[in-house]
Amino acid sequence: MRGREMHWIRIDRYYDTGLKTQEDTPAENPELANPQTFFQPVPCQQCENAPCEQVCPVGATVHSAEGLNDMVYNRCIGTRYCSNNCPYKVRRFNFLRFQDWETPSLKLMRNPEVTIRSRGVMEKCTYCVQRINNVRITAEKEGENGASRGIRDGEIVTACEQACPSEAIVFGDANNPNNRVSKLRAQQRNYNLLGELNARPRTTYLGAVRNPHPDLAGPEKKEPA
Amino acid sequence: MNLPHPELYGLLGEFDSPERLMDAAKKIREAGYRRIDAFVPFPVEGLSQALGLGRKHDLVPLLTLIGGLGGGLTGFFFQVWVNMSSYPMNIAGRPLNSWPAFIPVTFELTVLGGSLFAVFGMLALNKLPQPHHPLFNVERFKRASNDKFFLCIEAHDPKFHLEETARLLQSVNAQHVTEVRDED
Amino acid sequence: MSAGDTHVNSPEIQRLARVIEPGHSYATVTDKIASIVLTRPTSLGWLAGFSIAFTLMMVLMGSIAWLVTKGVGIWGINIPIGWGFAIVNFVWWIGIGHAGTLISAILFLLNQKWRTSINRFAEAMTLFAVACAGIFPLIHTGRPWMAYYMFPYPSTMGIWPQFRSPLIWDVFAVSTYGTVSALFWFVGLIPDLATLRDRATNKAAQIIYGMLAMGWRGSARHWHRYQSAYLLLAGLATPLVLSVHSVISFDFSIAIVPGWHTTVFPPYFVAGAIYSGFAMVLTIAIPLRKAYDLEDFITMRHLENMAKVMLATGLIVAYGYFFEFFMSLYSGNKFDVFLVQQRLHGPYSSYYYALILCNILTPQVLWFQKMRTNVAVLFVMSLVINVGMWLERFVIVVISLTRDFMPSAWGRYQPTFWDWSTFIGTLGLFVSLLFLFVRALPAISIAEMRELVHTSEDHE
Repeated sequence: MRGREMHWIRIDRYYDTGLKTQEDTPAENPELANPQTFFQPVPCQQCENAPCEQVCPVGATVHSAEGLNDMVYNRCIGTRYCSNNCPYKVRRFNFLRFQDWETPSLKLMRNPEVTIRSRGVMEKCTYCVQRINNVRITAEKEGENGASRGIRDGEIVTACEQACPSEAIVFGDANNPNNRVSKLRAQQRNYNLLGELNARPRTTYLGAVRNPHPDLAGPEKKEPA
Repeated sequence: MNLPHPELYGLLGEFDSPERLMDAAKKIREAGYRRIDAFVPFPVEGLSQALGLGRKHDLVPLLTLIGGLGGGLTGFFFQVWVNMSSYPMNIAGRPLNSWPAFIPVTFELTVLGGSLFAVFGMLALNKLPQPHHPLFNVERFKRASNDKFFLCIEAHDPKFHLEETARLLQSVNAQHVTEVRDED
Repeated sequence: MSAGDTHVNSPEIQRLARVIEPGHSYATVTDKIASIVLTRPTSLGWLAGFSIAFTLMMVLMGSIAWLVTKGVGIWGINIPIGWGFAIVNFVWWIGIGHAGTLISAILFLLNQKWRTSINRFAEAMTLFAVACAGIFPLIHTGRPWMAYYMFPYPSTMGIWPQFRSPLIWDVFAVSTYGTVSALFWFVGLIPDLATLRDRATNKAAQIIYGMLAMGWRGSARHWHRYQSAYLLLAGLATPLVLSVHSVISFDFSIAIVPGWHTTVFPPYFVAGAIYSGFAMVLTIAIPLRKAYDLEDFITMRHLENMAKVMLATGLIVAYGYFFEFFMSLYSGNKFDVFLVQQRLHGPYSSYYYALILCNILTPQVLWFQKMRTNVAVLFVMSLVINVGMWLERFVIVVISLTRDFMPSAWGRYQPTFWDWSTFIGTLGLFVSLLFLFVRALPAISIAEMRELVHTSEDHE
């Protein structure tokens, strides 16, 4: 694969043997057989000061008013500069034509709401922008006098949030202090990935509080805005 | 003006060194001729002064300044207009008018404008390209791009007189004097 | 030079000080240089060299065709190494071009007479290097047929390029650089084209050179404006050449990648560009003067001066390397400190040591005049520096990307066959253009050489 996987959410794994340096880790060390495992799902962090946006020569990745880091596939010419400048390296590129457009039986398999990208185009997690828009349209239809009724907290469910069995992923409007996501973000455990770069990512994580008993380590929480 | 020789362009004197040419040019100017030009295979220092070409003769620096300022100002304000008025977008949380980021393009367009105006201004003022010129009818004139130095007194000059002017050219050490004719 | 000093008047010193060997007149200079183009028969060596270069150029064409057919995935790039050989080669070629402009513009403003016989082909080299460089930013994009999005044209979508991106600065810097270099070169050529027109005996050559010369006849009025245009172009090209590689370095220093995000880059890139450019001028000049018996015009003084420029810029580059490391360590930033460790001990450390050997250690022999005046040593040295400067760009562009912020996203880079074929193909394009140039246009400025004959007559 040579670093060309097309997944939008990378599950990072880190291992801790408790040993300090490589010299301490002879192959027969029993600690190596069963290291403590950490993992962290990393999709696009939707930075406010997005490093990717600044370097795109054609404005193919820009900010929306809602705080999304939008990727405009039609505009993308594929310089890959955005990926180089992404500290999280969460952007994915169609190095070749990875899609099969010809086989008719495969056409029905695809999600009609997520357009298939051709080769030479950068792509990334969109916070399921199609689901956001569906809910927004519903909210507008159900509103009165032409005004939207407003999107309720928890009404938008992203694909990753939906799929996570332990409900570790929470999505919502971070500007509303009463939302679930805002309350979680207010916790002391809340942190930004690589916060010192001041990219101001909208995706934040809650530090895991681990029970000293190694079998009961809890999952991490991540709640996008 | 009623010219005695309508097809005559002028008289061409040939010299074998830039010093002789300069000497001749000074003397011919002193003799009152004004419509004269020299043709040399490389730029000779002092020749412009000897022919009486002043600073005002040269508009190239002014054109370059206009081109450079025009290019730079257009470049800068175009970027401001694009980002603030034509299609404002939130890019990386930066201000719409991120003027420091517009400086490189402004600089490059300043240089581009100045250079284009300098070169094309120079060519236009020199009335080049000019495929035909009476001087090219003179076989010896080919050496103007090699090792000989020429001085031409045009027939338009009020003092021009075929025999007298030819004598004058010979008296200032021209090795050859040729009549330049504009034939079709 | 003081005449009373016997040491200064020694024949050896005089030999090294000459910019043109004695015994030349206007006519012999014209003959010698114009005859290469007009009368000299095409030699077997030229045909052989051109055939090889042309074959390599076809390799480039083939590689580009395959690239457009399949996509940039035929190269070794991946996530996280989004930029590979294409950008390395782009920066390398643009850097090589810089020597030509430096010689033609900066040395002209500094009134360095020794530039005269090398400026023409150095400028040609600039143009051809920019041509090779310009291919890469275009073809390295995922969708090269959409590259026109980077130009500010009024589109139906109403959208414009994103002027905060250094890549847009590149578009303007490189296209301005190419245009101004071409103008400068062409303006310098006009009088010589007139010479070729007047000396050509075959009709086709007369017509072609005649059209290119645009009716230049050496009028003093024309020369007057010509000289001020040339001087102004030199004045404009000087800041331009400094800006171009600075802008190229912004591609990296604007980004946040450790190893890229460094304020020392602009001056260090410019010095590196001139360094590699002079190396390339020597690589071309040494065979050229041999093949066409131009030792009278491209003298030992030229070669030695170029060696001195290489030594000086090489030391600036060494300073850049030192401060890159020093600032990384001094900053205390853990990613920058890690970068230094990676350079020295990481999986790609051998490239770094090769780079130090090529760019810093070996060129120190240029301190010795014996070495600077030994043509073979200079030729080898120029090749070593060319390789070293290529490695420098490889270390900066590729190796910095292999290990940046998050260990989970680290990667490796392995160039593929197509990476190499595209790079070698541009070498073929470059050499092909040079071969055509020496046969079609005067490789040395005849008009300026006449001027040099004139002024050296004054002194003797």
